[in-house]
This record gives sequence, C-alpha cells and structure tokens, in this order.
Amino acid sequence: MSERMVVEIAMDQAWRYASGAAMERFCASLKNREIETLRCGGCGRRMLPPRPFCGNCRRRLEDWVPVRDSGVLKAWTVVHLPILDASSGTVREAPYGMGLIQLDGADTTLNHYLDRNDPAQLKIGMRVRAVWKVQRRGAMDDILHFEVME
Amino acid sequence: MIPVAIIGTGQTDHTRKRDDVSQPELVREAVVRAIEDAGIAGNDIEAVVISNMELFEGRAYPELWVGEGALAVGRPCLKVATGGTSGTSACIAGFHQVASGMFDLLLVAGFEKHSEGHTQTGMALTDPFWDRSVASGALGNFALSISQYMAEREVTEKHSAMVAVKARRNAARNPHAHLRMPDITVEEVLASKMLAHPVRLLDMCPQSDGACAIVMASQEKARQLCGRPAWVKAAATRHEQPYIGDIDRRLVTMRTLRDAARQVYRQVGIREPLKELDVAEIYEPVTYAEMAWYEALGFCAEGEAGRLVEDHLTDMDGELPVNPSGGVLSTNPVGASGVIRVAEAALQIMGRGGDRQVEGAALALATGYGVYAWADALILGDSP
Repeated sequence: MSERMVVEIAMDQAWRYASGAAMERFCASLKNREIETLRCGGCGRRMLPPRPFCGNCRRRLEDWVPVRDSGVLKAWTVVHLPILDASSGTVREAPYGMGLIQLDGADTTLNHYLDRNDPAQLKIGMRVRAVWKVQRRGAMDDILHFEVME
Repeated sequence: MIPVAIIGTGQTDHTRKRDDVSQPELVREAVVRAIEDAGIAGNDIEAVVISNMELFEGRAYPELWVGEGALAVGRPCLKVATGGTSGTSACIAGFHQVASGMFDLLLVAGFEKHSEGHTQTGMALTDPFWDRSVASGALGNFALSISQYMAEREVTEKHSAMVAVKARRNAARNPHAHLRMPDITVEEVLASKMLAHPVRLLDMCPQSDGACAIVMASQEKARQLCGRPAWVKAAATRHEQPYIGDIDRRLVTMRTLRDAARQVYRQVGIREPLKELDVAEIYEPVTYAEMAWYEALGFCAEGEAGRLVEDHLTDMDGELPVNPSGGVLSTNPVGASGVIRVAEAALQIMGRGGDRQVEGAALALATGYGVYAWADALILGDSP
C-alpha cells in the first residue's frame, strides 16, 4: 500500500467572548489613544493588561492609573517564520520586528510589533513610542507598531 | 503517603508523521510496550491518566477516542492538558493517586500527532483581547526572552549550537528519537536557517508524532513485580500568571521551575544538584532554554550556564549528563514529551537505558515546562 487513507477537514467558524469590565474600560480608552491600567493595592504593581485581581496578592483591583504610550524596549526579536494572527486569520509579512515594551507608568511589559526588522538597529534599552492607527476600534491593534525614538 | 515506583515504560519510535496509524493505535503501541515491560496484563491497570493538547489536533475528547487504546474503558480516567507540562503533570497526578492509596497499578499515557493538526494555531488561540493580534507563538516568545537572557547572562550563539550538537548526538544513541544526527557540527547549527533572531532551525525542537506510557505501582506491588523499580522520591508543580509580560525577566528567572526544583531538592535533601544527581531529563524546547534551566535548576550559579556547556559538564561523560535521550530538542510530541522525560529518567534508574545508559544512575531529575506558565520537577531514585 503506497498511500494511506487520511480524512481532510477544513472549517470556518466564529467565536465571541465577553471582555469583563476592566478590559472594557481599557479598550474604550484605546479608542482615544489613551492607555490606563489597574494598580494592585497590595504589591503596587501596575499590570498590563488590566485585570480585576492580582494573581500574586489574591486581591481585587480597583485603582486605575494612567500609562504613557512610550517606554523602554526590554526584549526584541526579528521573526522570519511568521505565525498565524489568531484574531484575523492572516499571516504577517516577514521579516518583522517584535518587542517586549515596558511603557512608562506600567510594571509589566507588553508584546507588540516594531517598526524595524534589522537586528543591527535594535537594542535592549531603546526608547520606543506607539504609532496609532487613524481608525481605531478599541483593541490592541489600534496601535500599528512601536517606533524607535531617535 | 504510600511510596510509589515506576515499574514499566513504553514509547513509540517518534517521527515526523505516522500516517500508518490512527491516534488510538499510536497510543496503544506505547501502552502495550509499557505493560509488557512491567510484566502485567492490561486488566491489572486500575486507573488511567491521559496527556494530550487537544487543540493541536483540533479534536475534542481525546481521552474518549484514544481511551480504548489506553486501557481506560470501565476505569477511572482523567486528562491533563497544560502545554509542555501536560506529560509531567499527568505523571504527578498519577503519582498522587497511587500515593494516596486509591490505586495500586496506574497507567499514564501521553501522545501528540502534530502532523494531523495545527500546533501554531492551537498555541495562538490565547486570550482574545490582549495578545492574539500580537502573538508570536512559541518561537517568537522564546526569541524575545532569549534576547534578554543573552544580554544578562553572556550566553552566545555558539553556546547554543553546542547544546544543539549535544542533544542530536545523544539522540543518535536512542532508537526512539526523532532527530538522530550523529555527525552534526556546531558550524552546521550556526549555518541553519534563521527562524526568529537569534533562534535558528537547529536550535529548536521538531514537531513529532509519538506516544509514551508508564506504569506506576504502589510500594507493595512494585516490590512484587519489579526487580529494580524507579521510585518517585518527590514531585512538585507550579503555575504562573497569564501573560508573557507579567513575568519578571522570563527565562532569566523562571520562577516556576526554580521553585519546583527547590521544593523537590528540599524533600530529597539535595544541596548540590550538579554533584548529587546522576542524570537529568529536562524539558528544553530550545537550546537557550536548556542553559536557562541549568541556572533555574541550580546546576550552576547565575551566568555560569555557558561555562557548563564549554566545559562539557552535561555531556554523556560529564559530571551530570543532561538528556541522554536527546531530549525535547530531538523529539517533541508535546503531550508525550513530559511522559518521555519521566520514562527516560526511570529507564536510567532501572539500568535499562541501553546505549544511552549512565553507568550506575541512582538519582535522576525529570522536569516539565509549559510556555512559562507551568513547570514540574520530579526526582526518581533507586530507593523509596
């Protein structure tokens, strides 16, 4: 037997997810090019994304604080083998830069795209700022990418 | 708590694609080998734990489809799915059940058939609000963390290539391994395709089709059935916060693995793991992770992992051989990979490691790792 029998299945499905109040407020702010998050009254950490409880302190969070749309590049890579964008079903054109960015006013980092894809031009510690889309829908991809501040 | 031992192991010959068998048949292949190795009959098994990442194959209820192949019908059966830790967590769940006195003979069976689904898609189906549109998959997440790790710990691409070479050369002595490359060189690794800077093709694990099963027994049964069982001396597991950005310096600190290791070392009384352990089977999906784990596992001080590699201390003939099997870098059917770590550690204690046996191994470490979110550690030994 040369060919084994296999069953091939292709599906097109849709899902819908409730955000919760904290994420709802965060996303509404993005529409206005504003970033804010919740600060833990226990450890004081300002975690992005905002969530209603601190995993480390097991406390509920209610204290909203502003976060700036610029910060420091804490880690970076240039991706040559792109993966599926599971929110749109598309694949981004490679190579592209990605970073972990600590925004001014936050204690955690966020992962996002960078405007550069040359490893020689990327360095931990660089200052970066958000480049916002003109049309915003209240989601993480309202930020197109982060650009290096010269 | 009742002492628990592993008395049998079985695994498939792992490879890229097993179109010749269905998922239940793949699982049965490993299970039959495990119960034959334990010298018991299928009916002797009292409970089953199954490990598989069902989103990777895009099929619900894996425990139902493969349950017959895993001897689960008519018995208690539970499923564990925690990414890379699925297999080690399944072993720990099995250990808890036998240690509690509930069961005397229990089967753990882990499997994955990556060739049948979409692993990257399965991994990308995370929190729909925060990181789906900027997700970077296992590869991108690693690459990001590695940039930090390299900057802080002076690890180089050459160190990484040396780890890759060690893994694939070890795998050449393991008949079950997927990537068996006895002649691989550092230059070849450094010349392999760039996937996500600085991670190259040969720095990464493959995606494999494969299954692995182990038989766990209570003290009484173990002594009755097995001349040299591998005793589970300690087991610990840790969970993390949800987002990659939550975790302070990721690979550099890896608090889940560090804390799980500290707990099992304390329980067994291990102070200098590099000297006291005889062998380790650790879950290293990428070369740089292996070096980060050396630090988290206390094999060396922070910043010393590169030196450990340069001095060949974790090679087969080194102070502490790490992954004589070739590790995850050579074989990665995710749901099985953690079970393979435990099975390979058990084989070493039982003295049945074949060409990959570490002479006289009496104390072994096995670990699991799942996307920074989870880590497991188990210590196996030649006495309870």
